[in-house]
Amino acid sequence: MLFVELAVKGLVYGCMYAMMAVGLTLVYGLLRILHIAHAGVFALGAYVAVVVANATGSLALGFALALVVSAIVGVGIYRFAYQPLLGHPPFVPMIVSIGLFIVMQEGFRMVFEAYGISFDNNPYYTSTVAIAGINLNYVEIAMVIASIVLLVGFGLFASLTRAGIGWRATVTDPQMATSFGIDPVRVRYINFLFGSGLAGLAGALVGLLNNYVEPTMGGLVSYKALAIIVLGGLGSVRGTLIASLILGVVESYGAIYLADVFDRDAIGFLFLIIVLMVRPQGLLGRK
Amino acid sequence: MSAYIASIVSVIGINMILALGLNIITGFCGQVSLGHAAFYGIGAYTAAYLAKLGAPLPLTLLAGTIMAGAIGIVVGLTSLRVRADFLAVTTMGIGFVFLGFVRKQKWLGGELGISGIPASGLHPVAYAALIVAFALGVIALTLWIKRSWMGFTFDAVADDEDAAPTVGISVSIYKLTAFGIGTALAGLAGGLYVYFARIILPDTFDFVQSIAILTMVVIGGTGSVWGVVAATIGLTLLPEVSRAASDYRLLIFGAMLMLVMRFSPGGLAGLVKRRAAS
Amino acid sequence: MTTLARIDDLHISFGGVAAASGVSFTVNTAEFLAVIGPNGAGKTTALRMVAGILKPDSGRVFFDDRDVTALPTHARVRLGLGFTHQIVRPFYSFSTVENVMIAAGHDLTRSPWRALSHRSRAAAKEKAATILARIGLADQADKSPRALPLGQRKRLEVARAIALDPKLLLLDEPLAGLSSAEAATMADLIRTLPAQGITVVLVEHNLGEVLRVADRLVVLDAGKVLAEGVPAEVMKRADVRQAYTGVV
Repeated sequence: MLFVELAVKGLVYGCMYAMMAVGLTLVYGLLRILHIAHAGVFALGAYVAVVVANATGSLALGFALALVVSAIVGVGIYRFAYQPLLGHPPFVPMIVSIGLFIVMQEGFRMVFEAYGISFDNNPYYTSTVAIAGINLNYVEIAMVIASIVLLVGFGLFASLTRAGIGWRATVTDPQMATSFGIDPVRVRYINFLFGSGLAGLAGALVGLLNNYVEPTMGGLVSYKALAIIVLGGLGSVRGTLIASLILGVVESYGAIYLADVFDRDAIGFLFLIIVLMVRPQGLLGRK
Repeated sequence: MSAYIASIVSVIGINMILALGLNIITGFCGQVSLGHAAFYGIGAYTAAYLAKLGAPLPLTLLAGTIMAGAIGIVVGLTSLRVRADFLAVTTMGIGFVFLGFVRKQKWLGGELGISGIPASGLHPVAYAALIVAFALGVIALTLWIKRSWMGFTFDAVADDEDAAPTVGISVSIYKLTAFGIGTALAGLAGGLYVYFARIILPDTFDFVQSIAILTMVVIGGTGSVWGVVAATIGLTLLPEVSRAASDYRLLIFGAMLMLVMRFSPGGLAGLVKRRAAS
Repeated sequence: MTTLARIDDLHISFGGVAAASGVSFTVNTAEFLAVIGPNGAGKTTALRMVAGILKPDSGRVFFDDRDVTALPTHARVRLGLGFTHQIVRPFYSFSTVENVMIAAGHDLTRSPWRALSHRSRAAAKEKAATILARIGLADQADKSPRALPLGQRKRLEVARAIALDPKLLLLDEPLAGLSSAEAATMADLIRTLPAQGITVVLVEHNLGEVLRVADRLVVLDAGKVLAEGVPAEVMKRADVRQAYTGVV
């Protein structure tokens, strides 16, 4: 029973990681940049949700604004940090991204307290429901549903709408796409809007799940998301999704069985390093 | 010299050894490393553990240096398998694995680290002088490397590691050499830190520390020795200059990292070069 | 005629497509050998296997009577092999003369310890300057490769390889992208190398120049050796002409 429960919990975490990691891999696939400031967007989403929900009493409004604000800030980050530096080696925008993340994190610490804030009215925090004998929190279920809905939705967008197809074309072959009249800047905006919105929503959900929003909450999730996108083969959305779920499950088991040797956060990275040494292109990357 | 100044000088010296070591790996040889703090930690933990067992200072420093360098070479093997972004994330991962390991090991103090480390036996001012002597030695070493044929070869590897073999360069050996030297220096810094702080905590060697060291290298101008020296001094002194700045220290680091890379990717050294050219 | 290098039954395929299906030929000391064939024949692939940049699925490469099949490129360079890329790869952060210097100083880059214990670049600079002068790039010595037109970059690539004091020089399409005047100059330059003790094997498309300067030809088609011999006789063969033009 423990076996199954660990697997299910692992998959739930995997969905959360996926929401973060997809945004990262979208940016990488398009711009070849490791968008570390993505972690800041995650925390931003959480802060917006909690502040708005506490101010207006409406969780729904908090979440909606979290999504919108994160999406817009994500595009802003692209405009300020990445667009002007596209001619430089990718090392450069990555460092700017790291600096920006630190600034955002410190900004949160200064505006709100270092000790974190909570939702005033969080009915979901302690309520669980038993499905097939496993206790799951409502928020965890919401996370799984949200990630599935949003990712499937984006998949449909990418295959069925003109904008989506334009996006796919740009990721595959930017020069060819421009010669077809597809505007690369618009594609990048779509990229950052979607990826950042997703991250902000993930942050809001995690904040609700733990009933706790603090400045450094983006860090660890983001670092793991980086490990995930490398595992999944940088730039591959499908690879990222699979790698997210695998990492969630590996962590879940590893945290129990390797509890005396490594702490939970190290396990994901350990897994990544081992995989990369065996397969340098990642689990699902192409050589 | 007051104890306060002695401690500032000590921190500058330790940071300088850390930054110059990373400069060899990332600046000279072009191998991105986001986990340098792990080797700082390996050196510190090794030295601290041996110091508590009663080993004398020269031995603990040597042990810390060698341990960090040896593990550094093993980690350097990853740079033979993966590059650039993959290597960045791998080295970041190394840092987390180190931290995760050390936090769980009771014999290394777990979350509480190692405390009650014996004194160096030197007066704080004398110890600061010792650190400065080491720092000067490291500056001399990195200048020598840079101007020697090793520096020339590193430049070739950093420029194009696929073309370098066609001029007879064994890229693997040189990458491992860069990692070995750079991480050994981080280990030395760790050992020196141990007697300075008398207590070490796992969190001192986390990702933020790796980024702080990287900041000094990047702002100085990756690959430039004097630039990195200047940036290290400046960035270490900054929080001291203003008490208010101390609380904003990390914010300032982040902002500088962001703004310098955004507007002058060559760092301070790049600015100087551009001024000289115009 | 002594054999300097021997390629023995090399096979390699990429993603299910065979690029070499049993390529074998020998290289004699002090000769100028050209490997020719139609597009997709596997010429560059064969050369890269000799250089060690590609590992064959099966077969052996011998250099100076030594089996070098398992050796990486840099080790083969140390044994006396030089290589130029089809798409030139100078070190762009180095100046032109520095590009040649790093090769000229190959004795010092052998091991990190040796490299660390030597500072002076004077000897390497002098040697590099001499080579640049011989090759006609003396005026470009301090320029960045980015500032050089393609013809000069290709000459730089050759200069860098010569600075390694190779016994055998492998040139991958050194004339590609050059105007007919530049190609003729380059071909003449390469032709002087065997007399200086450097055996030359080149892969080339530009038949005109190749037929003029090569001592011997090896013709590849679809990953196999089709013919070999002196240019005049090889080019008379019907199967060779058919491989190129599709017409007997």
